[in-house]
Amino acid sequence: MTSSTATAAASPATPKTRYRGVTARILRRAWGQTEMKLAASIFLALTLLTLFGPYVIDASATKMSVANKFLPPIFMEGGKLPHFLGTDQLGRDLLLRSLIGLRNAFAIGVVSVVGMFILGCAIGIYSGYRGGLTDVILMRLTDVQMSIPVVILAITVLGMSRPSPLTIIAVLILASWPVYARVARGVTLAERQKEYVRAAKILGASDLRIMVRHIAPSILPPIAFVAVLDVARMMIFEAIFGFIGIGIQPPTPTFGTIIASGTQYLLNAWWITIVPGVLLALALGSLNLMGGVLERARNHILQGGE
Amino acid sequence: MAFAIEFFLRRISQGVVIVILVAFVIFTLLRIVPGDPIRIILGPMASATALEEKATELGLRDPIYVQFGRFMGQVTTGDFGRSFIRGAQGGSAGGSQDAVGYNPESRASVSALIANALPYSLQLAALGIAFAFLVAIPIGLGAGLRAGKWPDRLGLYVSSLFVSLPNIWVGVVLIFLLSAKTGWLPAIGYQGFAYTIIPAMVLAIELSPVMIRAISVSVAANLGEVYFDVGLVRGLSRRTMVAKHVLRNAAVPLLNLFGAQMIGMLLGGLFVVEYIFSYPGIGMLTINAVFQRDFPIIQAVAILASAALVAINMLVDFASTTIDRRLKF
Repeated sequence: MTSSTATAAASPATPKTRYRGVTARILRRAWGQTEMKLAASIFLALTLLTLFGPYVIDASATKMSVANKFLPPIFMEGGKLPHFLGTDQLGRDLLLRSLIGLRNAFAIGVVSVVGMFILGCAIGIYSGYRGGLTDVILMRLTDVQMSIPVVILAITVLGMSRPSPLTIIAVLILASWPVYARVARGVTLAERQKEYVRAAKILGASDLRIMVRHIAPSILPPIAFVAVLDVARMMIFEAIFGFIGIGIQPPTPTFGTIIASGTQYLLNAWWITIVPGVLLALALGSLNLMGGVLERARNHILQGGE
Repeated sequence: MAFAIEFFLRRISQGVVIVILVAFVIFTLLRIVPGDPIRIILGPMASATALEEKATELGLRDPIYVQFGRFMGQVTTGDFGRSFIRGAQGGSAGGSQDAVGYNPESRASVSALIANALPYSLQLAALGIAFAFLVAIPIGLGAGLRAGKWPDRLGLYVSSLFVSLPNIWVGVVLIFLLSAKTGWLPAIGYQGFAYTIIPAMVLAIELSPVMIRAISVSVAANLGEVYFDVGLVRGLSRRTMVAKHVLRNAAVPLLNLFGAQMIGMLLGGLFVVEYIFSYPGIGMLTINAVFQRDFPIIQAVAILASAALVAINMLVDFASTTIDRRLKF
């Protein structure tokens, strides 16, 4: 990834306009793929469902109802409205619980990816631009961070403290920023040799200005495409944390806790586990497919394709 | 030979520094994050004075750098200390002991606990990787050799699908389908090799997307290289070129991937999968230790895991410089 970005960035011209053009071309090519349209429509449908579902469906995600417990999905015998996808062991509506879980997971995924992108890229650009001792120290730091397995770090911090959305996001950012730092540093090393950077320097621009106004806009868009894939990864982490019991705490519904609670009733009420999983997989699938198509389109365009 | 010695000396010294820093980070995190192990050792009824007494005795009230120095001193002699909670005879004794009756000698040594759990984890990891290769090699090769054609699409679909399935959910679904519903395979706990199969499948589903993509990208890139066309021009068949040259050259980025990404993923996957299946490996040991604030176990596992990560990265770099001598270290 580093190499393909670097080679493409190796041509001179005015990089800003060039990259803006490239970004548009990547998006256009990606949108031309059937997979992209499919994934985008699934994602849009889920978003609409998440936004408006709670107002339209006449049921509750948190209110318990003994009379309605273990109702199967509507397409099975015994299912009844308004519980489209059935209810759990306490009579709560599964579709609504899954939708709220989806909303929370997505929020955590997006916020943590934005956080790790900003932190990682800032450190990476600084490290690559400065060079020398700063570079060595910062890169050793990424070595150390990358040598701590994410899950060990997460269960240590979250298992010991009281997990909240903020600590979860903090842990995810802390665990994943080095990847972005490495990539951004690699591209910056190539970029700072270029004429436009030298020109800006001669014109008297400060280092900060060069990094923020000149280097960042030209190297970040290609990296940002890959970040879409990381949103899905972070959502999986959120689900795992919930499953182990170190994620967002009940009564707020999350995928992890719904799936974990359903395992006890697997034989009699399999839908408690299966249904939210299918929804989550659909959401992740659409994100991953979009990310994958974008990545391929980027590689295609950067390698000189049309 | 000189090359190898220089390489290892340099990398081992770097690696040791990294592992010590990682140990320090985890050590400090454990002690600044709220959650007092003494409360769990002595139970909720213990008096405040008894708590303080025990904490001082275990050295938990010393400054962190003093504790860390003492701990590293022990580690260099191969001693990771004793569990706070687990008895030497198995079973845990948290919360059941008064301050006087607690005797560190009766606690299990961390090294022994890890040595017991490690073979299970290794077995699971090996089977998981084997399954993942079984899926990823044919699909990845096909996708790489026929870029832009249907096998390429298949690769994209399969890897997008697998990467979208959360391992916790796949685990539960497979337990439901292969064990609870049909009774084909056993699933929870461990009483024989068969108990490894379903967990390994979950692990393989998690690992294979990365493999598929790496294999296909790497193979496709090599087909575009000049040497490939040159070989064809010189009269070698496509088949020979692929079997003799492309695969070998494609192996270098694959090896790198193994070091950088796979081992981290594998470790994380092991933890989660072992937890789902109550599989008695390192992951289960550590997750239980976290819930019981059993610091010695967590520290030891974190150090060993990062040491393994560093060591494997080193071996991978060495292997790839050996395969392709143009690479510098």
